[in-house]
Amino acid sequence: MTYSPLLLAGAASLALTAPLKAQDLTAEVFSSWTSGGELKALDAIKSEFEARGGTWENASVAGFENANAAFQNRIMAGDPPAVKQLIVGQDPLEFIEAGLMTPVTDVAEAGHWADVIPASILESITYDGEIYLTPVGIHGESWMFYSMPAFEKAGIDGEPESWDEFFADMDALKAAGITPIAWGGQSWQEAKVFNMVLLTQVGLDGFMKIFVDKDADVLSSEGVKSTLEIVAKMRGYVDEGAPGRNWNDATAMVIEGTAGVQFMGDWAKGEFTNAGLTPEVDFGCAMAPSTPGMIYIGDAFGYPKLEGAEAAQKLMAEVVMDPKVQVEFSLNKGSMPIRTDVDKSQFDVCTQKGLAMLEAGTIVPEHAITITPEQVGLLTDFVGEFFNTPDADIDEAMEQFAEVFE
Amino acid sequence: MARRQKKSFMPALAILPTWLTVVVVYIGAMVWTLNLSFTKSKLFPSGAYVGFDQYERLLGSSKWIKAVSNLATFGVLYVLGCLVIGFCLAAALDRKVRFENAFRTLFLYPYAMSFVVTGLVWQWLMNPVLGVQATMQGLGWESFSFDLLTSRDYAIYGVVIAGLWQGSGLVMVMMLAGMRGIDVEQWRAARVDGIPAWRVYVSIILPQLGPPLAAVATLLTMGVIKTYDLVIAITNGGPGTATEVPAKFIMDNLFQRQNLGLATAAAIMLLMSVVIIVAPFRYASYIRAKRKAGVL
Amino acid sequence: MTRSAEINPRGAKPTRITAGRIGLYAFLISAALFFTVPLYVMIVTSLKTMPEIRAARIFALPDHLDFSAWKVAWAGACAGAECAGIRAGFLNSVLITLPSVVISVLFGAINGYALSFWRPRGGNLMFGLLMAGALVPYQVFLYPLVRGFAALGLYNSLIGIVIVHVLFGLPLVTLLFRNYFVTIPEELFKASRLDGAGFWRIFLEIMLPMSVPMLVVAAMMQFTGIWNDFLLGLVFAGRDNLPMTVQLNNIVNTTTGERLYNVNMAATILTALVPLAIYFFSGRWFVRGIAAGAVKG
Repeated sequence: MTYSPLLLAGAASLALTAPLKAQDLTAEVFSSWTSGGELKALDAIKSEFEARGGTWENASVAGFENANAAFQNRIMAGDPPAVKQLIVGQDPLEFIEAGLMTPVTDVAEAGHWADVIPASILESITYDGEIYLTPVGIHGESWMFYSMPAFEKAGIDGEPESWDEFFADMDALKAAGITPIAWGGQSWQEAKVFNMVLLTQVGLDGFMKIFVDKDADVLSSEGVKSTLEIVAKMRGYVDEGAPGRNWNDATAMVIEGTAGVQFMGDWAKGEFTNAGLTPEVDFGCAMAPSTPGMIYIGDAFGYPKLEGAEAAQKLMAEVVMDPKVQVEFSLNKGSMPIRTDVDKSQFDVCTQKGLAMLEAGTIVPEHAITITPEQVGLLTDFVGEFFNTPDADIDEAMEQFAEVFE
Repeated sequence: MARRQKKSFMPALAILPTWLTVVVVYIGAMVWTLNLSFTKSKLFPSGAYVGFDQYERLLGSSKWIKAVSNLATFGVLYVLGCLVIGFCLAAALDRKVRFENAFRTLFLYPYAMSFVVTGLVWQWLMNPVLGVQATMQGLGWESFSFDLLTSRDYAIYGVVIAGLWQGSGLVMVMMLAGMRGIDVEQWRAARVDGIPAWRVYVSIILPQLGPPLAAVATLLTMGVIKTYDLVIAITNGGPGTATEVPAKFIMDNLFQRQNLGLATAAAIMLLMSVVIIVAPFRYASYIRAKRKAGVL
Repeated sequence: MTRSAEINPRGAKPTRITAGRIGLYAFLISAALFFTVPLYVMIVTSLKTMPEIRAARIFALPDHLDFSAWKVAWAGACAGAECAGIRAGFLNSVLITLPSVVISVLFGAINGYALSFWRPRGGNLMFGLLMAGALVPYQVFLYPLVRGFAALGLYNSLIGIVIVHVLFGLPLVTLLFRNYFVTIPEELFKASRLDGAGFWRIFLEIMLPMSVPMLVVAAMMQFTGIWNDFLLGLVFAGRDNLPMTVQLNNIVNTTTGERLYNVNMAATILTALVPLAIYFFSGRWFVRGIAAGAVKG
C-alpha cells in the first residue's frame, strides 16, 4: 500500500473526529456507466483505486434519469454514496449549494491541478473558490462521422469545408440513393446538432455570450437566424424513419453505408470500433463544417458529505486525476483526458483532432455545463419542436430560443 | 343495538391497517405534495412560497397542455380499446378452444415484459424504413403505409397500438375469470332457446360482468395516468413534444430538470382533473349501491 | 384435453366443425399473430450477431443460431469485475416479490370482504381516498416516503421494500376484491350470519374459497407488477437486495454507451420468464364452475 503524504495527513486530522473510521478506504461509487466501454473505463479507475488500498463498492444505475432518481432519494434518506459520477457544470450546483458535497480543494492544490487542466474546465469545477469535482475526461460532441464508402460512391472527395459544400455533398449522397444524414430523432440528440451548427454561426465568443451571459444582442443576431435556417434545411436530408431513433441505430446506418453522415459525440466511435471499423479508413471523423472549435461535455466525480468517507474520497480524487488513469479511462470511453500533461500517443486519429482543439483552447462547454438543468430541458424541448415542425417560422423560433434563457 | 355495535367492531379493525396507510401515506404525501406545489422548490424541498406561480407556469406551458390533451386521446382509445379487445378475446377463449393455455399466455405475455425493450421493438416495427411498412412494400404492396410514429399528428396513435398490445391481455384475464364464475344453467337455458353464442355474451354475460368490468376500467385508467415507460421507450415524447404525457412531464421535472415545485404542481393538477372527471361516475354508482341496499 | 372437458361441460359440443368454429379460430389465430410479432422480433434479434442486427432486417431469421447473447444476459461476460448478468438479482426478486404478493393480496381480500359485506362506517370514504391516492404518479411520493422509512430504520432493507410494495399495491388489490365480492349474492352472507358465524369464520370458510379465481388474478397482477418494478426496488431495497430489474436496466439502458441489442432482448425475455410461467400454468384455475359451484354448495 502506498499512501501519499497528503492522504496520511488527511487521515490523521480525521482521526481526531472519527477515530474508528479514519483508515477506512471503502468507497461506494455511484455511476450511470454500465455499457461495455463505459464499464472498462470505470474499471481503469477501480483497479488503480484498489491498487492503492481502497475498497470499491459498485453502485451503478444506467440512464441519467434513473441514476438521478436513485441518488436524489439516497440524499433525502441521509444515505449518500461516497462517490458520485457527475457532469461538470451546473448539474451538481444544487447539491453543492445545499452543502451536501465535500470539496477536494486540498487534493487539488497538492496535485497542482491548476497547472495541468485547462482554465475553462477548472472554472467549471470550482464553486465559491472551492474545487468540488474531479474531472476525468471530456467528450467532444460536435463531431460529424461519415461513411467513407458512401462518400466514395457519391463521388465526394474530402470533407465539406462549409455548410454550402455540406449540402452539396448531401445532394450527391441523395442522388446516389444513400440517406444523406443518419438522424437520431430524439430531442436531446437534435439539441446537440443545433448547438454544433450554432457554434459555426456565432463563433466561440458568441456561443459563450449566449450560454453564459445570455446576451440579448447575440440571441437576436443573424448567426442565430442562419443556425435555424441550416437546421431547418437538414430536415430535407433525413429519412422518414428518423423520429425516435436511438443514436446507436443511426450509427449502424453509417457503419452499413446506408447513410452518409451522423452528427454525434465521440462516444459513437465505440459502435464503429465494436463493428471492426477503422477511423479514417472505413469511417471519417470530422468536426461540423467550418466550425471554429469543439463543444465538450465533461465527466467528473463528486463527493457527497459522508461521515467517515473522507479518506476514501481523497484517495479517489487522487486516483481520478492520475495521468495514467486518465489515459486508460479515456481510451476505453472514447473521450479525452482532462490533463494536458499526459501521454497522448495511444489515442486514435479522431481523438488526436479533438486533443489539438483542447490544447489550442478552441473549445466551448455544452449547455449542461453552462445553464441550469431546467433551461437544458427547455432548450431541448425548443430544438425538438423546431426540427419536427416543418413549417416552423424562423422569426418566431428566434423568439422562442431567446425565451429559453429568460 | 349494543349487539350490533359489538359485531361491527371487527370489520373496522380489519380495515384499520388500510386506513392507516391512507391517512399516513396517501393523504400525508398528498398534503406534502400540495404544500410543495406552492413553493419554488428546485432539487430539494424548499420553504420559499410563491403562491400559485407554479400553476400559472404550468398552464402557460404548451408542453403541459399538449401532455394533458395526449393523455385524454390516449386514455380514451386505450381504455375502450383494451376493454373491447380483451372482452372479445375472453369470449373466444371461453368457447372451449384447443390450446387455451397457449393462447391465453400469448395474449398476456406483453404484460409481463419490461417496456424498456419491447417499446424499442415497437419503435422498429412502426419505423417506415425497417418495420412492417418496409416489409410489406418489399413484398410488392407499394402503397402500404404504417408510419404513425414518425408523424407529429399521428404518433400518439402509434403509442396507443403498443398500449393495446400490452394492456388487452389483462382485460382478457379479468373477463375470463368473471365468465368462468357465471352459472352454467344460463348457458343451458340459452342453448334451449337457440340464442347464438355471440348474443349470449353481449346480452347475457356482459351485463353480469359489471363490477369486474368497472374494476378493470379503473385499473386501466390508473395505468393511463401513470403512463411513462411506454412513451419513453417508443417515442421519448417525440417527434418534438408530440407524444408528451403528464407522468413524463412530472418525472422529467422531478429527476432531470430539478424543478420539484413544478412537478408537484403538475401532480396536483393531474389529480384534480381526474377527480373532477371520475367523481360524478363514482357518485352515481354510490347512489345506485345505496338504492340496491335499500331494496334489499 | 379430455380431462378438462370432463371438468367443464359447457357450451356447444366442439366436435363438429362449423363455420362458427372456423371463424372463432380465425379470430384467435389472427389475434395471436398480432400479439406474437414483437416477441418474434425479440427472439430472432436475440439470436443474431451484432453485424446481422446492424443490417436492420428485423424480420429476417438469423444466419445461424447464436446463443451467446443469452449467456451474457444471464451471467454476464464483460471484463470488469462488476459486470454481472441478471442472474445476480434473481433471488432478490423472488425474496421481494413473494412476501409482497402474499401480504398485499391478503390485505386486499380482507378489505374487499369487509367493505362489500360489513360496510364499516367510513369504508366508502376510505375506498375513495385510496383510489384517489392511486391516481397520483407514485414517483411524487418518493421523497416523503424515503424520509419516513429512513427515520423508521426500514430504508435499505428487505422488510422496507416489501412494505413499500404492499402500500402501493393496496389500491389495486382492494379494488379487485371489493368489486369481486359485490358480485357474490348477499343472501349467502346473511345466511352465514344467521348461523352465527363471525367476521373471520365467514371470510376463511366461505368467502376465501369462493374467491379463488380472483385470488389468482390478483396474485398474477401483483406478481407481475412487483416482479417488474424497478424504481421502488432501486430506491428502497438497498444494495444487497436489488431486484433483477435493476440489472436488466443496467444491461439495456444507456445514454451514450454502445447497445448490444441481442443481449438486451435476451435479458428482457429472461426477466419475464417467471411471470410467463405463472400465466401458463395458472390455466387450471381458469376453469368454469369453481365459483359457481361454491355459491351453490
